Amino acid sequence: MAKLTLNNLSKTYGDVAAVRNLSLDIRDREFFVLLGPTGAGKTTTLRCIAGLEKPETGEVWIGEDLVNEWSAANRDVALVFQQYSLYPNYTVRKNLEFPLKSKLRQLPAKEIDSRVHKVAETLRISHLLDRRTDRLSGGEMQRVAIGRAIVREPRLFLMDEPLSNVDAKLRELLRSELRGLQLKLGATLIFVTHDQVEAMTMGDRIGVLCDGELIQIGTPYEVYNSPYNTFVASFVGTPTINLFDGTIDGDRIVVVPEKFEIVLQPALRVRLNQVAGLRNALRVGVRPEHVKLVAKSDIAGTLYGAEDHGVEMILTIRVGEHLIRATSSATTRVPVNAPVQIAFMQDKLHLFDPETGKNLAQA
Amino acid sequence: MAELDLIDIEKHFGANWVIRKLNLRINQGEFVVLLGPSGCGKTTTLRAIAGLEAIDSGEIRIDGKPVESLPASDRDIAFVFQLYSLYPHMTAFENIAFPLRAFRMSDKEVREKVKSVAKVLRIEHLLQKKPSALAGGDMQRVTIGRALVRRPKAVLMDEPIGALDAKLREEMRVELRRLHIENQSTTVYVTHDQVEAMSMADRIAIMNDGVLQQVGSPTEVYSSPANLFVAQFVGSPIMNVVNCRVESSDSTTKVRLDGMESSFQFGGEVYQRVAAAGHDDIALGVRPEAVLVERTEQPGYLVGEVHLIEPLGAYDILDIALGKAVIRARTESRFVTRLHEPVWVQLDEIRTHFFDRKSGLVLNRERQSKWQS
Repeated sequence: MAKLTLNNLSKTYGDVAAVRNLSLDIRDREFFVLLGPTGAGKTTTLRCIAGLEKPETGEVWIGEDLVNEWSAANRDVALVFQQYSLYPNYTVRKNLEFPLKSKLRQLPAKEIDSRVHKVAETLRISHLLDRRTDRLSGGEMQRVAIGRAIVREPRLFLMDEPLSNVDAKLRELLRSELRGLQLKLGATLIFVTHDQVEAMTMGDRIGVLCDGELIQIGTPYEVYNSPYNTFVASFVGTPTINLFDGTIDGDRIVVVPEKFEIVLQPALRVRLNQVAGLRNALRVGVRPEHVKLVAKSDIAGTLYGAEDHGVEMILTIRVGEHLIRATSSATTRVPVNAPVQIAFMQDKLHLFDPETGKNLAQA
Repeated sequence: MAELDLIDIEKHFGANWVIRKLNLRINQGEFVVLLGPSGCGKTTTLRAIAGLEAIDSGEIRIDGKPVESLPASDRDIAFVFQLYSLYPHMTAFENIAFPLRAFRMSDKEVREKVKSVAKVLRIEHLLQKKPSALAGGDMQRVTIGRALVRRPKAVLMDEPIGALDAKLREEMRVELRRLHIENQSTTVYVTHDQVEAMSMADRIAIMNDGVLQQVGSPTEVYSSPANLFVAQFVGSPIMNVVNCRVESSDSTTKVRLDGMESSFQFGGEVYQRVAAAGHDDIALGVRPEAVLVERTEQPGYLVGEVHLIEPLGAYDILDIALGKAVIRARTESRFVTRLHEPVWVQLDEIRTHFFDRKSGLVLNRERQSKWQS
C-alpha cells in the first residue's frame, strides 16, 4: 500500500474547469472519501490518479513515485466502478484470476490459485467461485468486482460510486463490509461519492469538492461539526441544517426577512464578539438536533409538519416565513398547526459570513 | 373526496403473479403509501385503481361503486408520475389551468383556483414561466398542482419525487404532506423508499412479491412489524436480525445469539410465547436504538468489542462484536471514539422482537394472532 500526493492538479474540458488547483495528501492505509454533487470534479480527480486522464498541470505522486508520465497499467492501482464491469460469461473464479494472468505479472498458477481463494474467503464468496457472474445478485456482483481489485494487491484502491447501484438495505451492509475490509487489509482507498452518508460512515477523512475546488478536508466529525462554509454545512447532514440571515443588534440576533430574535446568552455573545468583529450581518446555522421544543421561548411558531421516522420525529416549525427543522424523540406528540415554542442550543450555533458563506470561526 | 376499496384483487402476467388477493380500504381523506421493492406489485396496483391496467379478478370500488367498466378518464382520479409530463409550450399557469379548461369555467374562476393551489405549493412567483425555465423540484410542483387543481376524487402518485436530489426530496416530503393536510385529498402514493413512506403516510401498506405484508401507521409498522420482511424493509439503519437459542431458566429466559458464548436475560414470558409455543427456529430482531450500550460494566449487560464506528453526525452507529455475533447500536455522537474498545450491551426487552425463521412471522405478544386472523 502507498500514500498519494496531488500537487496543484488542474484539468479542463473545453472552457470548463473540472478540477482547479487541487492539492491533497492521502496517507498510507487511509480511507479517503471525495464527496461532492454531480459535476464537482471528483470523478475527474480519480481518473487523473488512475492515469485515465492527463491533467494540464500538477503532479500525481504514488508512494515516492511521480507517476504523471506512467501509463494506467504501470501505476499499479485498482479501479472499481459503479458498473461492475465483470465478464458475464466467465465464472467468478475466472473473473478473479483475470488480473493476475496478465503478461506483466507472470505469476505461477499455484500463487494465483491461493490468492483467489484468500480473496474469496475474505469477501465470503467462496461458494460462488464456479458460478457465472451473470447469475449473481447485485451485492454478489459488487463483491466480485471488489475482489478482482483486491486480488492484484495494488498500491491504491480507487472506487467510483461502487455502491450506488445496489438497493438501500444492501448498501448499508456493503458500507460496513467495505470499511471493515479496508481496515483488515490496511489498504489505501480513495472513494468517490455524492452520498454524504457513505462519506460520513466510511471515511477516515472526507474531502468536500464543489465546482472543481476542494473546499474542506477533515474527519467526518470535523466536517459535520465545523463546516468550512454554508455549502459544506448544507451538503453534509440529514435533515439539512437550518440557515437564517440576520443582523446583530445589541444582545440579540434579529433574523430577517420575517423577523424573529435570538436572544444571546453570555457565552454566545463572547463568541460573536470574537468572530464577527465589526461586522453586523451574518448567517446563522443550526442543525435540527440542536433545535428544541420548549415551554417558553422568544421564538414562537406553529407546527407545520411532523414526520414519524420511527427512531425519531422530524418536525417542521413555521416561524413567520421560515420553516425550521427540528428532530425530537419518537414519542413527541404535537398536533399539526398547534402553537409551539423553540429554542436553539446556542453553543451549537454556526456563524457564517453572509457574503462569502465562510464559517466565521475559521476565518 | 372519496374512499377506495380494493377487494380480492389479483393480477398475473403469464405464470408470474403480480398481485395476489389484495384487500385494502383507503378511507376518505387518507394518505396511504404503497411501499415495497421493485417488482412487488405496488405500481400495478396503483395503475389498476387509475384504470390504466386491467385486473384478472377482484373488485375496485370508488365510494362504494364498482369501477371496472369505467375508463380511466371517467374515474375522476388524478395521476402524478415520476416524470413531469408538462406541456413545454405552456406557462406553469396554463399547465395547471389546463384540466379546468375542459369545464368551461370562467377566467376569473380558473385564475382563483390556480392561484390557490399555487400558493400551497409555493410556486406563485413561477406561474408565468415555461417548464424549460424551471428547476426539477418546481416542475414537479407544477405537475402536482395540475393534478390537484380540479379537486379529483383521489390523487394517485407514482414515485413523484424519486428523480429529485436528496435535499429537494427532503423539502418536497414536507410540502406534499402539508398539501395533504390542507386539501385532505384521498391519496395513494407509491414508493420504494421507506423514508418517504414513514414521513408522509397516515398508513403504510407494505408489499412484497405481490402480497400485502402489513398495513399500519408508521409507528405500528416500525415498532410492531408483522414479519421479518417488514422488520428489515422499514427503518434505517436496518434492524439487527440474528438467529438465536431461547431457553428457560428459573423464572427468566436466556437468549443466546448464534456465535455468542453467553446469554442475554429476559423475563420468563419471553420463553412462554416463543419457545413454549413450539418454535425452535428463531431469529431475534432488535433495532440499533434498542441496543443499550454502556462504557462500563453493568449488571445484566454483556461485554462486546467495537469493530466499527460509523459517524452520522447527529449520532453514531457502532458495530459491536459479541463473540462471533455482530450487532449494530445507535449511540450519541462520539460515545465511543476508538476501535476495539470494550463496551457493555443489553437489549431493551420491550423493543426486542422474535420471529419464526420458517414463516418469517413475528412471535411477539398478541400481534401474531391479530395479524393471522
